[in-house]
Amino acid sequence: QLPSFPKSVFAAGTAKKIARIQQKKASLVSEDEEEPQRRTNRGAGKLQPPERPLPPDEWRKMKESLGNPNSFDCQMMTSLVTAGSDLDIAKSLLTFVAMETGTLSYELLLRYLTLCVIGGHDDEVFDVYKIMRGSFPSMDTGASTLFIKSFSRTERWKEAVGILQEVKKVFTPSQRNYHDVIAAAVQHGDTATAWSLYDELITNGKIPHQDTWDALFTCVKKTKEEEEEPEHQEKLLRILLYMRNNQIYPQESVAVKIRTWFESLKGPKWTGGWSSITPKGVCRCCGSELESIQLSAEEYQELKDKVMTDVIQGRDVFNKTTPEELERFKVFVKRKPAFDVVIDGLNVANINKDKNKQSDTLLAVVSALEDQGLNVLVLGRKHMLRPSRFWSKHNMSLIQQKAHCFFTDNISEDDPFLLYATLHSGNHCRFVSRDLMRDHKACLPDGASRRLFFKWQRGHQLVIGGHVAPGRSIRFQSIPEYDTIVQTTGDSWHIPYDDTEDRSTYEVPLRWLCLTKKH
Amino acid sequence: VQSEQSEVIDLDKWKYVMKSQASFQEQRLSGNEGPSEDAGILNESGADLKDSSSLDATRELVSMWRQAGKLVPQEMTEEEVRLLADLTTKASRKKYLKYLAIKEGHKLSRKEKQQKKKAEREASVKEKRELDIGQNQDGHNFKNTIILQFWDRSLDKLLAWRTAQAMIFGQPLVFDMSYESNMSRRELENTVSQLLEVEGWNRRAPDPFHLHFCNLQPDGTYKKELVKRYGEETWERLLITTTKQHYIELFPREQLVYLTADSPNVLRTFDHSKVYIVGALVDRSIQTGLSLANAKRLKLATARLPLDEFLHWDVGAKNLTLDQVIRIMLTIKETGKWEEALKFVPTRKHDGFHQKLTQT
Repeated sequence: QLPSFPKSVFAAGTAKKIARIQQKKASLVSEDEEEPQRRTNRGAGKLQPPERPLPPDEWRKMKESLGNPNSFDCQMMTSLVTAGSDLDIAKSLLTFVAMETGTLSYELLLRYLTLCVIGGHDDEVFDVYKIMRGSFPSMDTGASTLFIKSFSRTERWKEAVGILQEVKKVFTPSQRNYHDVIAAAVQHGDTATAWSLYDELITNGKIPHQDTWDALFTCVKKTKEEEEEPEHQEKLLRILLYMRNNQIYPQESVAVKIRTWFESLKGPKWTGGWSSITPKGVCRCCGSELESIQLSAEEYQELKDKVMTDVIQGRDVFNKTTPEELERFKVFVKRKPAFDVVIDGLNVANINKDKNKQSDTLLAVVSALEDQGLNVLVLGRKHMLRPSRFWSKHNMSLIQQKAHCFFTDNISEDDPFLLYATLHSGNHCRFVSRDLMRDHKACLPDGASRRLFFKWQRGHQLVIGGHVAPGRSIRFQSIPEYDTIVQTTGDSWHIPYDDTEDRSTYEVPLRWLCLTKKH
Repeated sequence: VQSEQSEVIDLDKWKYVMKSQASFQEQRLSGNEGPSEDAGILNESGADLKDSSSLDATRELVSMWRQAGKLVPQEMTEEEVRLLADLTTKASRKKYLKYLAIKEGHKLSRKEKQQKKKAEREASVKEKRELDIGQNQDGHNFKNTIILQFWDRSLDKLLAWRTAQAMIFGQPLVFDMSYESNMSRRELENTVSQLLEVEGWNRRAPDPFHLHFCNLQPDGTYKKELVKRYGEETWERLLITTTKQHYIELFPREQLVYLTADSPNVLRTFDHSKVYIVGALVDRSIQTGLSLANAKRLKLATARLPLDEFLHWDVGAKNLTLDQVIRIMLTIKETGKWEEALKFVPTRKHDGFHQKLTQT
């Protein structure tokens, strides 16, 4: 029985699902394959942490019984952290070390600090902070991060802002650092600080954590009564536009917060609903039509130029082709009428596992498309023309009768030509390939053009579903007519969100949050 | 019993210890830090001073990372700190520090070994001397030999004669030095290390190649690094041909064969009349087809070593280091047997030769 896939290769979870099925198949074949051994945590297994605080004598005995290892204190502290031991045990260890050596090392204190922060002992953290400040000239990034995290949870959160400023002298703080402080500012109603830090984070070119958005959307609910509300509203809407521009999708929990926020707004009432979209691009919740997957004329031109300069020519034309070949191809494309479908010959031919039927498979696909009255271009390599077991002369000449063909040199890449021929033919032209084109996407210089490429790809790539066999009609996965992206019409918002952990980076979510304003 | 015991232990004693230390440190610091804080305010005005303060901050961070038990070097030179401060991301800084720390570790262990050896040698010399004194009384302290001791210098002379002959009659082998812009600093340093080994292996071969370093720009980084590593004098006296000329200008085009792992053609037999070209390139960032593109541009013949034809390839890239390539080329030139030549392919990359596997 055939496994049932979702409609598109770009739908969330498809890649993981296929991987799981293939794994299953593989495990049926070779069941004796061993599970990779999990690496045991270093040091954690070696030392057994005690159950209760020990007096110095007993610590000494334990250390001696282990042959007086050099870093006994740090190793023991690490195992206390991994075991999540009681704070008093750690304190007794520190006392032992302090009495033994007269001081404590930075490393040991840092590990103790980790234990305190994980265990939520914020008062103890204040003490450690004072001690570390007094004994050491400065702090490393690990300690700063821990202090920021811990201080942010307490009334002394403003000090976390100070530590953050200190980190900035040498480093751009991490998203997590920013998140902790922003969440603290929100919690204490200091939205001005929260927003200025958020803006700083964005200017630094970092992508905020989902939790940060979660916090910000929650915050405004609290300060609703205040006068500055319009400003907050505008800023929160700007977050949504940021998601749109960077093709980021909120997680389900954030989507819930967004919905709650919209529904709590004063003035015209917003109603939210969890929705999905029909293949025609209509929201099942409110019945309105979504943004089209088609590119605008300017976007289209931009993408076409970028693909030509960055993917095909790149830094060196000779990497993928030769100038003569490129010229030959340009002349060829110009001479022919615009194509309706461009086929990646080698990719399509290899759909069937059976290598002997490569040309049969290709012929079947070409005929099917030609029967629909489409103007077809087949791209391939010159070796396909040399009659062989895989490439029968008869089939190849039939293909050449039914479609236009262009064969590149055997050492040239054919994919870039495929992209260009499709883009050159215009917006209606599609291409047939199973290749996800990730390496070509990676050749594009910036995120914006990569997103443009991905949008175009989702709207124009035909993927053959199931098997190709003689006598069987060829089915293609359906191409959605709408773009999966955060979008608004002013009176409505449609926000795709992640309800699964299984989405790969080149896939798009299937679930939507639909928000509409009633007048 | 337990609760009793925990009451007995003074759990916060360590805090008093650290705090008493801290106040001491504070006094000391406040005595020292006065002028430096002033300098901090001044720094805001001058760009130069600000630069040095950011270097200080970097140095301080490294020292804190060291105390936190991270893998960082004990000592750093001014230039290394500057390079570190110029790196923008945390990951790249950590990577650079790890590299320095490992390098430092090697250096220290080497020094330790040297000292140990030195001590051993001194001990043995002393022992020998004592023995000699004992023997002197018998009068048997002179050895009788036919030849003088064969000094390293004699070997050098012999090898130099051979390489000189290769420079007149030997088969040329070209290293294409045109990849300067494709490599990072680290990669370029690695390339030069490999080139040094290449020259060494070639010199010691029974029938050396006539090495050509082509496209070597007189003021380029390759040249600078090579001269730095060899020393001015040795570099001038090296028995290889270095030129800024292109190999196309030196040899007839039909004689040239560019060796590249991306080539579709397999080098089945070694041709003594051809001039093989090897790209002097270490490519850590996977720039596929770089040297193939060069060969295509010049319409040269290309070839790859018959690795798949002879070896059960396991892991790793098919591109080999320059010293491995020269040893393979030297061996195939001498013996004509790929089984012999491909012994220089690192064994971790393959599961042995095809024939051997079928025999067993």
